[in-house]
Amino acid sequence: MVETIAVRGLWKEFDGVTAVADVSFGVGEREFFTLLGPSGCGKSTTLRCVAGLELPTRGEIVIGGRVVSAPSAGVFVPPERRAIGMVFQNYAVWPHMTVFDNVAYPLRLQKMDGAAVARSVGQILEVVALTGLERRYPAQLSGGQQQRVALARALVRRPAVLLLDEPLSNLDAKLREQMRFELKELQRRIAVPILYVTHDQAEAMAMSDRVAVMNAGRIVQVGGPLEIYARPADRFVADFIGLMNFIPGEVRRVEDGRVLVRALGGEVWVSATAPPTGAVIMAVRPEDIGLGTGPLSGTVAVRNFMGNFVDYKVRAGGHILRVQSPTTQVFEEGAPVGITFDRALLFADESR
Amino acid sequence: MSAVRGSAVASPAMRVRWLTDPRVPFVVLAAVILAAVVIFPMLQVLIRSLKVEGSWSLETYARALQPANARPLWNSVWTAAASSAAAMAVGTALAFLLVRTDLPGRSVLRTLVILPYAIPPFFGAIAWAQVLGPQGYLTRPLLQLFGMTEAPWSIYSAGGIVFVLAIHYFPFVFLTVAGALERMDVSLEEAARTSGAGTLQVMRQITVPLVMPAILAGGVLAFMGAIANFGIPALLGLRARFFVLTTSIYAALNIPDFGLATAMAMLLVGVSIGALFVQRRLQRGEGRYAVIAGKAIHPQPARLGRWRWPAFGLATTGALVIAILPIVALVVTSFLRYYGAPLAPESLTTRHYAYIFGLEQIRRAMANSALLAVLAATICMALGTAISYAHVKAKIPGSGWLDAIGTLPYAIPHTVIAIAVLLAWSRVGLYGTLTIMLLAYLLAYLPFSLRTTAATLQQIHGSLEEAGRVSGAGPLRTFRDIILPLVRPGMIAGWILVFMPASRELTMSILLFSLRTETIGVTIFNMQDAGYTQIAAALSVVVLLVILGGNLLVRQASRGRLGF
Repeated sequence: MVETIAVRGLWKEFDGVTAVADVSFGVGEREFFTLLGPSGCGKSTTLRCVAGLELPTRGEIVIGGRVVSAPSAGVFVPPERRAIGMVFQNYAVWPHMTVFDNVAYPLRLQKMDGAAVARSVGQILEVVALTGLERRYPAQLSGGQQQRVALARALVRRPAVLLLDEPLSNLDAKLREQMRFELKELQRRIAVPILYVTHDQAEAMAMSDRVAVMNAGRIVQVGGPLEIYARPADRFVADFIGLMNFIPGEVRRVEDGRVLVRALGGEVWVSATAPPTGAVIMAVRPEDIGLGTGPLSGTVAVRNFMGNFVDYKVRAGGHILRVQSPTTQVFEEGAPVGITFDRALLFADESR
Repeated sequence: MSAVRGSAVASPAMRVRWLTDPRVPFVVLAAVILAAVVIFPMLQVLIRSLKVEGSWSLETYARALQPANARPLWNSVWTAAASSAAAMAVGTALAFLLVRTDLPGRSVLRTLVILPYAIPPFFGAIAWAQVLGPQGYLTRPLLQLFGMTEAPWSIYSAGGIVFVLAIHYFPFVFLTVAGALERMDVSLEEAARTSGAGTLQVMRQITVPLVMPAILAGGVLAFMGAIANFGIPALLGLRARFFVLTTSIYAALNIPDFGLATAMAMLLVGVSIGALFVQRRLQRGEGRYAVIAGKAIHPQPARLGRWRWPAFGLATTGALVIAILPIVALVVTSFLRYYGAPLAPESLTTRHYAYIFGLEQIRRAMANSALLAVLAATICMALGTAISYAHVKAKIPGSGWLDAIGTLPYAIPHTVIAIAVLLAWSRVGLYGTLTIMLLAYLLAYLPFSLRTTAATLQQIHGSLEEAGRVSGAGPLRTFRDIILPLVRPGMIAGWILVFMPASRELTMSILLFSLRTETIGVTIFNMQDAGYTQIAAALSVVVLLVILGGNLLVRQASRGRLGF
């Protein structure tokens, strides 16, 4: 894979506090790559280091084959000389300039002549569907329109990479969902690699080719959305991505890819490769729990109809399990049920 | 260079960045100017006060504290304390009345009561001398009413000084208390009401204790203003041989006795900084009550009931007397043939105006004041913008120190600033020039421009600038294309806020002027002092019109955030 961005061993410290610790990743030339994590995990700082808005403490950053940051070698290319486009969380559309002037600004800095500027701005405004609003001021635009201006401004000079810092978090829910599809579509049309930062796992899952999950300044897992959902590398990722039940248990027997675990007052077989032994935590997705007959037993505590599925809370062996089942079979609140685990992940339980 | 390198986290990469940042030379330049304009003169006062005939000594302080010389210190402290106590009483009462009751006409009254703040203090002294002096506009009808021949008071006395100081500085208290009352969480009072307390009990046991820090903070501001004031004690006290520190320093410099002047200046600085320290402590005290927490709920105003209209009458009369009467007095005097003439159409004349615009000396003073004010405002704003930008936005290491040093003169009374520049710059031949006056103005007004520029820059989100950088603009280009256009309205307002006080400055100019460098403030003072009351009044009216116009411009430029 040809990497447009390569980050190697990146560290960033603020007054002795480590915000980014030994982060390495690469972004392919047409890839949608997302840094995902809770607030304060270092994802935005990493992005700002790539943009040149923060000065890394250590590590190397390469954009389009050119080393833009390598503190040990005394290399630091300022943001204006990195071939990047960036969209900020609050859009940062300049309020004293019209839509046209905002988008034209990067081109004018390149001393492009007026006719060429007008042509390029017209083209990119068409791409982001803002044609006709050229002479408006940002105060006269909706939040969604302002964001399109920011996108157009970031793309107008054909950057080597597009950096997006939580661009959807200020939009309302409906627009946010619509923009997920549009951003993906946009990237297909203009073939620019995207480095995207978000704390919203649904956003990351929906758009990304690959996701790097970050926690406490480090990348804990890199992979495709499906892979991260299905095989989280550790308990943090399992917890952060989607809904997950964590059930303490004890490994009893291991038998060609299957493990017998004692948990919730019973014993249950789950499939696992290279399972830990002794005390474990079983991680089970709500949709991977079957209700009806099974080796474990519990009682339906709460039942909510969600339309296309039923959301249960089931009491079993002193724990509350979250279960999401199809509407084909429905249990009453208070009804005793049998429980099976279709799929489960086992993590060694270090707390015991 | 230490200003930009003195960072504890200077990794190699940091050094690379700061050495290549094109903004750094500008910050270094600002640091050099600051060292010359602020630090060097202020150190001169300290050093001079500690030296007698070339060797170190505390003798000047001993002299300043001798009974004969300690008298002005005591006078300064007690007049400032008495006037700020009166200011606290009046300001607090008016704040409650105008913020928390259903008094009619509250918004008009509000504008009226802060008007004295906008009028130069020595104009107030001139006006009140005309209102309450021996032949005053209020004195004569009152004497007639009570059948007396001589007023039982004198405006030219310690009492007169306290009275005019209180009127001039009570808006400080009013504004801080009104602000605190408006930000206070109403539910605290409602909780007391539902616990069974009556209106007055709530006020006494809940509301007043909660706004006490604000009352005291406003009182300290009034105290600092009063103790640093020169015009009022000079115009009302010198005649009665009643001296305070500022007027004693003026007298000492006329002798000239620099040792005594600097020692008294240090006493003045000591009291002023002490007051500032108290104010900072009170502000921290306010933080302890985390209840005044920016909620925009408007409390139910207290019903005045049958007191509503009597209170309205009293408040309106009071506001008219303290805000409008002095201005009316100045206007009337400026049109009278001679001061004390009967108030009839045949006594009116415009010849004083013709006179002031015809006199070359006055035209020169106007030109000097205009030039000084324009230069002071422009340089202060340029310097203030550079420092605030480095400090607030670029966060260049060491720029926090520049901000702190530039803010330092805030606690220094202007009389002391004048002595500082005299000591620092006379020996290089600047004595009696407009340049030395400009250097004093810069020192005095830099803190104001730093506050307005910092506040304006803080409103601009960092990402607007970063968006400029990632669009391909360098730091200087970003500053020019993004920052400057966005801060322009705030900067214009800040410029006018320096221009206005500078254009009618008295306290520093009176100590620094010489033949041909008179300012308009000095001219008005001297005219009044020499008994040309009508000329002083006419000039004051002209300056008041300029202030009014300037204020309208400030309101326009700041969209109502600044000005009154």
